[in-house]
Amino acid sequence: MDKYLEMIRIRFLMMLAYRTNYYTGILIYSINIGAYYFLWTAIYGGKHHMVGLSVIQMTTYVAVSWMARAFYFNNIDREMAMEIMEGKVAVELIKPYNYLGMKTMQGLGEGIFRLLFFSVPGLIIVSLLFPVKFTWNPTVWGLFGISILLSFFINTQLNLLTGITTFFFFNNSGLIRAKRVIIDLFSGLLLPISFFPGWAQNVMKYLPFQGISYIPSMIFTNGFSHQQAMNAIWQQFMWVVVLVLPIQLLWYIAKKQLIIQGG
Amino acid sequence: MNAIEVKDLRKEFKAYSSRTGLKGAFRDLLTRNYKIVPAVNDISFSVKQGEMVGYIGENGAGKSTTIKMLTGILTPTSGKIVVNGMNPHKEREKFVRTIGVVFGQRSQLWWDIAVQESFRLLKKVYKVSDAHYNDHMDHVIKTLDIEPLLDKPVRKLSLGQRMRCELAAALIHNPPLLFLDEPTIGLDVLVKLKIREFLKEINEKYNTTILLTTHDLSDIEALCERVIMLDEGKIIYDGALKSLKDQWGDRKELQFQFLENVNIEGLNQLTAEMSVKWEMDEKEQLFTAVIEDIDELISQVISKVVAAYKIKDVKINETSTEEIIRNIYEKGLV
Amino acid sequence: MLYYLSMFFQYISQYMKTRFQYRANLFVEFFSDLMSQAVNFIFILIVFGHTSLLHGWNRDEIIFIYGFFLVPFAVFSSFFNIWDFNERYIVKGELDRILTRPIHSLFQIVLERMELESLLGGLTGLVVMFYSGSRLGLEIKWYDPILFLVFVIGGALVYGGVFVLIACISFWADARTDIMPMMYNISNYGRYPVDIYNSVIRFVLTWILPFAFVGVYPAAYFLGKKEWSSYVFLTPFMGILFFTISIFVWNQGVKRYRGAGN
Repeated sequence: MDKYLEMIRIRFLMMLAYRTNYYTGILIYSINIGAYYFLWTAIYGGKHHMVGLSVIQMTTYVAVSWMARAFYFNNIDREMAMEIMEGKVAVELIKPYNYLGMKTMQGLGEGIFRLLFFSVPGLIIVSLLFPVKFTWNPTVWGLFGISILLSFFINTQLNLLTGITTFFFFNNSGLIRAKRVIIDLFSGLLLPISFFPGWAQNVMKYLPFQGISYIPSMIFTNGFSHQQAMNAIWQQFMWVVVLVLPIQLLWYIAKKQLIIQGG
Repeated sequence: MNAIEVKDLRKEFKAYSSRTGLKGAFRDLLTRNYKIVPAVNDISFSVKQGEMVGYIGENGAGKSTTIKMLTGILTPTSGKIVVNGMNPHKEREKFVRTIGVVFGQRSQLWWDIAVQESFRLLKKVYKVSDAHYNDHMDHVIKTLDIEPLLDKPVRKLSLGQRMRCELAAALIHNPPLLFLDEPTIGLDVLVKLKIREFLKEINEKYNTTILLTTHDLSDIEALCERVIMLDEGKIIYDGALKSLKDQWGDRKELQFQFLENVNIEGLNQLTAEMSVKWEMDEKEQLFTAVIEDIDELISQVISKVVAAYKIKDVKINETSTEEIIRNIYEKGLV
Repeated sequence: MLYYLSMFFQYISQYMKTRFQYRANLFVEFFSDLMSQAVNFIFILIVFGHTSLLHGWNRDEIIFIYGFFLVPFAVFSSFFNIWDFNERYIVKGELDRILTRPIHSLFQIVLERMELESLLGGLTGLVVMFYSGSRLGLEIKWYDPILFLVFVIGGALVYGGVFVLIACISFWADARTDIMPMMYNISNYGRYPVDIYNSVIRFVLTWILPFAFVGVYPAAYFLGKKEWSSYVFLTPFMGILFFTISIFVWNQGVKRYRGAGN
């Protein structure tokens, strides 16, 4: 366990070293949120409610889902693809730790860094600029905390899956990009799932994507009742468990292939 | 005309130091400590057309930085560089047509396409005519024995194969000046020999100037008459390899193997009145006496030792270049 | 100039050969491009499922702007695939190699990193434009194709200029930056009519990160929105201006290049 904690710490320090990122990142996320804020105000165009969300809730939704993205988002799929293509992964495999576990911890280290130094100050800045409404209900904050942690795991698991496919496709930059686009849309980052037509919502119930952004953001904006929130978190948790299976399976096949091909 | 002329060349880098621990890292967010480090510290030298020069020094001595300034990759902080009559950085695009560069640790070839496709592309890049190309490259390809590799993609080549192709690629436009940065790193002996032979040949044939950095001094012994030695950004020796040897290779090593058990104290006592330094390799029971290169002294030491102990084997070695250079770095050149 | 043109075609022919080695990925890349275009399209469709006008613009007009945006964007993505410039060329020191060759360094990188398959997005854009244009009953005049070409090149140069400028940050800042991927998000705002944003953002999108010249402004011309015409014809000039500045900054930056492994 120690070495995984150490990994989190190292990543954390690495992120601190990349200072330029830190300064510009907040600015760019704020602009991003701002643009969506204006887009949504234009979409509401004087209406007070749309699909059960008020303009203010919508603004909060946008702000929170982008700031949460800073936490769960990472590039470990691309990093894995690089390591695999350059043959570095063979070296990683002989090190005394679980490669996938280590990658997850790297992602978590990065995520925690961005949460503290990026999302929190970013959210404060955004709330000064735009009409964002925070709840002061500690239960909501608690549920939100659990929910974004789970969304980190779901997103990371999907990244690991995409990363592993490099073993089979060799060059999979296209797949990585496709995955990102799908997640942006179907996770509810761009617009809440409830805005989708009914049939699409039904399909998405059976997919893990809404656990990444829609669920935590809806919890935060009070768009869910307490019972809905509990159900949603349970659903996220189930996905985390279910996704372990394909990852382990693909990883097992991939390692076998690595041994045969010699990396 | 000199191929390379360098005067008071200097390159400084800002070296950031990070504070320790998490708290330090946070402070680094706001302000960072740095100091200015001269990687190359006011050096001057010149190289004549057709010379083969070894540029040596320990890691971080400033070798690569110098080469990168000479090839126009880096801009010097101050000083004057004229290479092939041009300022490398100012007239970069025109200048690089007159040089060939091989970085041992970095590929010049395109990873995914066949070697000959890379050659073809480079031929166009350097505007080499078909006639020139055929005339010159046929020979290069034959000498380096890379004919069978030409239709393979670079990523499928072994290091030795790749290195030979890199060398050929750097010579497509038959440049009068060739920079080689660690060209033999990680190569096996046969490939090394082939590359050396080839370099000698093009030097003779085209009077090509070659500047070579390497960790492997045998490269330099085989190729270069002149060495420039660098330490902490300064030139500490510039001259013939031979005179370096004459000046510093003034020692001999006498290596003994005995039939009986011998300890080093005994040997020290035996030769107490002579200036002999004994060294011992415990595993193989090898005892080495390092002494000055005086015939009289050598025979004295040998006769004393032979008289005292039963001997299995004796060898007399000259100090190797490697040792000379290690000595210089350790003790400094007086 | 002729030399540069011939190098361009040399690299393209090499590029084709490499690409056909990884046919499977080529297919996935086409697919992922189409996907990302579809995502934005779906976004617009869903939004207009809940409203009929966006600040006075109707659904087909918004779709038309999006269709137009795709064309210069496709040109840009084909030739300015430099989002990983820092990683690839600065951190790994590939710029060393570039700088030992007798072609302008930026041009070499453009040639090396070309992704011509992205041009397909331009085709999608044209389809989208014709679809929404015909629903809006737009007429094509004889000079429209010429203006279209000028606007597309102008827009692609705006994009190219901005992203080259961002890549140049790597010459000055010693740390890795992730600004590039984030900037792609911002660049999307040119796709919507800028009058929905407040004056600060509108100013930014017009003069500082002039992404509005890649989408709304030129598209407004074809939609017959007269009130925008002063901006419309600035498009090629903004493109040339930004691109020239970026090349100038690039040339300064190369002088500051430190090389890798120091």
